[in-house]
Amino acid sequence: METGLLVQMLLGALLGLSVYLPLRCGQLSLATPGFYAIGGTVAALLSTRVPALGSGDAFYPIASVLLEMALAALLTGVLALGLGRVVLRLRGIYLAIATIALVEILRVVTLNLEFTGGALGIFGIPQPFSGPEGYVGLTLILLAVVCWLCDRLEKTRPGRAMAAIRDDELAAASQGINTADTKLLAFVLSALVAGVTGVVAAHFLNSWNAKLGNFDASITTLAFVVFGGSRTWLGPVFGGLLLTALPELLRPVGDLRLIVFGAVILVGPLFFPQGLITPQLFQTLWRRMERSAVPRPQEGRP
Amino acid sequence: MNRRFSASLVALLASGISLSGCTDTTAKGPVNLSKGVPVGAVLALTGNANVYGQDQKTGIELALKALNSAGGVNGQPIALSLEDSGSDEPSANAAFNLQINRGVLALIGPTLSQQAFSADPIAQRRGVPVVAPSNTAKGIPQIGHFISRVSAQSSVIAPLSIAQALKLNPGLRRAAVFYAQDDAYSTAETVIFQKALTDKGLKPVTVQRTQLNDQDFQNQITAALNQQPDLVVLSLQAVDGGNMIRQLRELGYKGPIVVGNGMNTPNIYPICQRYCDGILIAQAYSPELATPTNQRFLAAFAATQARNPTASRIPPQLTAQAYTAMQVIGEALQRLDRKHPLKTLPLAQARKALMDEILSGTYQTPLGEIRFTPEGEVIQKNFYVAKVRMNPDGKTGRFTLLP
Repeated sequence: METGLLVQMLLGALLGLSVYLPLRCGQLSLATPGFYAIGGTVAALLSTRVPALGSGDAFYPIASVLLEMALAALLTGVLALGLGRVVLRLRGIYLAIATIALVEILRVVTLNLEFTGGALGIFGIPQPFSGPEGYVGLTLILLAVVCWLCDRLEKTRPGRAMAAIRDDELAAASQGINTADTKLLAFVLSALVAGVTGVVAAHFLNSWNAKLGNFDASITTLAFVVFGGSRTWLGPVFGGLLLTALPELLRPVGDLRLIVFGAVILVGPLFFPQGLITPQLFQTLWRRMERSAVPRPQEGRP
Repeated sequence: MNRRFSASLVALLASGISLSGCTDTTAKGPVNLSKGVPVGAVLALTGNANVYGQDQKTGIELALKALNSAGGVNGQPIALSLEDSGSDEPSANAAFNLQINRGVLALIGPTLSQQAFSADPIAQRRGVPVVAPSNTAKGIPQIGHFISRVSAQSSVIAPLSIAQALKLNPGLRRAAVFYAQDDAYSTAETVIFQKALTDKGLKPVTVQRTQLNDQDFQNQITAALNQQPDLVVLSLQAVDGGNMIRQLRELGYKGPIVVGNGMNTPNIYPICQRYCDGILIAQAYSPELATPTNQRFLAAFAATQARNPTASRIPPQLTAQAYTAMQVIGEALQRLDRKHPLKTLPLAQARKALMDEILSGTYQTPLGEIRFTPEGEVIQKNFYVAKVRMNPDGKTGRFTLLP
């Protein structure tokens, strides 16, 4: 396995989680690449234009990367807060369309601004690590934190409120759940994850341009969740890891690799409409493991 | 924290660490010559740039055959590994990493300048020579010492076709410019075209923006034709550019069309068909060059087309440049091996020495005699302008050089 690919896979898993968070409340938001692009642009601009951050050093300081992450999180968080209030009044396919519009607006704005480098983008982004190994550590830590957060969400009150909204928004509201705030929370969290992921991606890719956060990326990241499953956080993680790796792992197939990749994406949801990883799958697995570990009481009887 | 979560997290971290532990650090070891002298190519064989990658693949394979049939690197054959970079940056990075981990001595590619800005720094950091066959954007050799190119940058070539259009038609006054605003190549080249037009006193009457993946250009064309242009200048890639030309002609534009390097491939014929006829393209390659190298290249190219009676026997510029890139690496390897046999050198040192050899040599290539600046920019003597001539069937044609 190639280390650079591993970083791409981990970044894919993070983007999958960013799409999964609003889906926990039943909100189909495709805004992830937009916030990802904001994070990437923030990192690219700061690291190439602000010498005080240490772009002249042999290795770009990790502290500066963390600072970029904080700024990207702040920017995406504030934007998501403001936008979420408006767009989350829409539901289902209308929300999806509104978020696609957001992605497109951001892309066209980036293309036409002087300081974001237009279509050529920003290149020569300084490196905090000598090779991809450093990025593996950074993204693994980031992924672990986000996974932990998502796991907590599945068990705490806001998370259960999200699940209630997903199952029936009207019923949830009549039980006293503030549905607007809960949905907004999920949307903001999703934006934060995407923004911070963009910062790591910009450094890892050496260059940043508007193409990296386009509509195609919306569909790809949605595929991570549809393929992996949207009922537990492990679904999008698995989907992101697998679907990012697959085109590379299929290289030995040669010219047919993208056809095989397309077939896998097609076959997955056909046979596993809930995604590959579902809570039922876990229950079955645990039950089997417990059964095999603890002998049945009947077996001890004479 | 519950059991399920911690179990999953541990599994995730463990797999991550074990996978990253498998990384390859062979650069300190010797060059792996078991299958031949390893050279890698990374080309866009899929995605919207695939029309270029196909041309380049042909060129590299022809040069490889020529080098190996003449004894390879002093008796050892060159082993080429070719990987698809798609038409985006992450795939190009992945392909570069894959090739470098395989232990290649040098890389040819990537196809697009935008990919080069992302993938070349990887090669630069790991000390692997890169010879770019088709990157024309400003700033490519400046990425680092290990990055060079055989494709002359567009600021040198693009103005020539404007000059030629004026020579053929001195009365031109009103130019309309089109470019894809979301494409790095198009936006970079249109700046050069617009400057060349202004320098010749032909300030554009309209500049229309399109998108790389657009199919329908009626709005932009109608807006431009309202300005009654007598010259159209396109900085578009092959697929969108081909469609643009067809629609321009269908909507009644009859004047001359100058296009940039993005359409410098016979693969545009099936797209704009008979409407391709008459477009002007500046060239870094002339099939009429009467050097022995070019004659060998022409003969070899014609042989690959023998099975397909309708295909052109004239190689496109991208094929000639890719051939040149492979030839440069091959000849540099031969010189290096004579000075320091490759089997005695550690991989990292061999790569570094190879880069010095590449930059210091002079090469008799299908493009004519070329050299490199110390930075890795190509020094090439002659450039040309071609006019596309379509055959009456509207499906095949050729690039005819203008005097």
